[in-house]
Amino acid sequence: MEEQVLLTINHMSKSFDSEEVIKDISLSVKRGEVVSIIGPSGSGKSTLLRCATMLEKMDRGDLIYLGEPAAWEEGGKCVYAPKAKLREIHKNFGLVFQNFNLFPHYSVMKNIIDAPMTVEKISKAEATERAEKLLAQLGLSDKADAYPYQLSGGQQQRVSIARALALQPKILFFDEPTSALDPELTGEVLKVIKELAKEHMTMIIVTHEMQFARELSDRIIFMEQGIIQAEGTPEEIFHSDNERVREFIGKFQA
Amino acid sequence: MSISVILMQLGKGMIVTAEIFFLTLLFSLPLGLVIAFGRMAKNSVVSLLCKIYISIMRGTPLMLQLIVVYFAPFYVLGLKIPNYRFPAIIIAFALNYAAYFAEIYRSGIESMPIGQYEAAEVLGYNKGQTFFKIILPQVIKRILPPITNETITLVKDTSLAFVLAHAEMFTLAKQIAAKETSIMPLMIAGVFYYIFNLIVASAMERLEKALNYYR
Repeated sequence: MEEQVLLTINHMSKSFDSEEVIKDISLSVKRGEVVSIIGPSGSGKSTLLRCATMLEKMDRGDLIYLGEPAAWEEGGKCVYAPKAKLREIHKNFGLVFQNFNLFPHYSVMKNIIDAPMTVEKISKAEATERAEKLLAQLGLSDKADAYPYQLSGGQQQRVSIARALALQPKILFFDEPTSALDPELTGEVLKVIKELAKEHMTMIIVTHEMQFARELSDRIIFMEQGIIQAEGTPEEIFHSDNERVREFIGKFQA
Repeated sequence: MSISVILMQLGKGMIVTAEIFFLTLLFSLPLGLVIAFGRMAKNSVVSLLCKIYISIMRGTPLMLQLIVVYFAPFYVLGLKIPNYRFPAIIIAFALNYAAYFAEIYRSGIESMPIGQYEAAEVLGYNKGQTFFKIILPQVIKRILPPITNETITLVKDTSLAFVLAHAEMFTLAKQIAAKETSIMPLMIAGVFYYIFNLIVASAMERLEKALNYYR
């Protein structure tokens, strides 16, 4: 089977006020690939993710999911596809937030089944079956009836991963999934992401966990000042000649 | 005149007071939500109109508003609407309370973390689903204490309907007090308002407790 490109970003730019945070970034991700994005704070990693997931509108560039353009450049401006089309395209990806953003008024089970029932209109029985499988897979079967406030941060993040997976996305984005967690809770979330990588889930992960990125990624992207400074396999990045990359990675290995 | 006779005579007024109370809530709670949306609208004309509306409703006496709503159709438009007294009272109360509720809704909605909207958006909820399934239930929990305050004020404010000489509790109590030269009817009216509010407060407390299943 030919390698299928799931996501293509061409010449993406994004400014806030007059400050350009993403400068002409191009990137494509194939099915089954795990791509980590690393770089210092303010490098534009999270903005890139937010533009790719359409939480922010980019100013220029193309955004294409599975060959379907979600946004493209026309006359120097970025045009987005009509709402109905975007709704379809949205189904291709999920996003796991840094601070979980679980729905506090819903139980764990309801957090997971509500979107499939509301958005995909599948039956409660089917949604529940799907959710139970996911909860078992993520080691949360006994928490189905709990409310988010009753869970640890690590458990909440695992629930939010289950919530995203319940919609069966083709690509899963992670925006610093462990940054809001105590170090001792980080491991359980990273373990879950590693399991997903083994199952060949396509993932794009913004992270500060260097060792994790190194072990897990097929490709690492180093971003700084809104551009991709370096890109390559973990070995290439961790043995990079690029001065800035060495310096950045060095800080984490100290 | 014995207490039981006074109670009998006041009884009908109590029912009217309760009617004003419930009908006002019935209309002003949804209307307040609509005005809150208008106030937060991106369209600056709509937003400004709602802001002015709220400002006038909160900035002028309810008693004056009652009189205006009742007499304006005739004085301004020359319209004689039969049996308009009670509807006028409900309209004035609903318009006034909606302004207060609108600001309470707005404060609640604006206090919601943006992450809730973003999570819903990424999961594919449309705007209506996001608001009614994710945002509003959490907003209701947050705004219950100020809503309780307004509701308790409303119970007491129903007595303002006396300016339109409608036979609610307070109007009747005053009439009987004047006729019998006795303070008793007014005291009984006071006890009635107090008990009414005890019930309102405890009902709201129960509701708050019921929503305490999450944080």
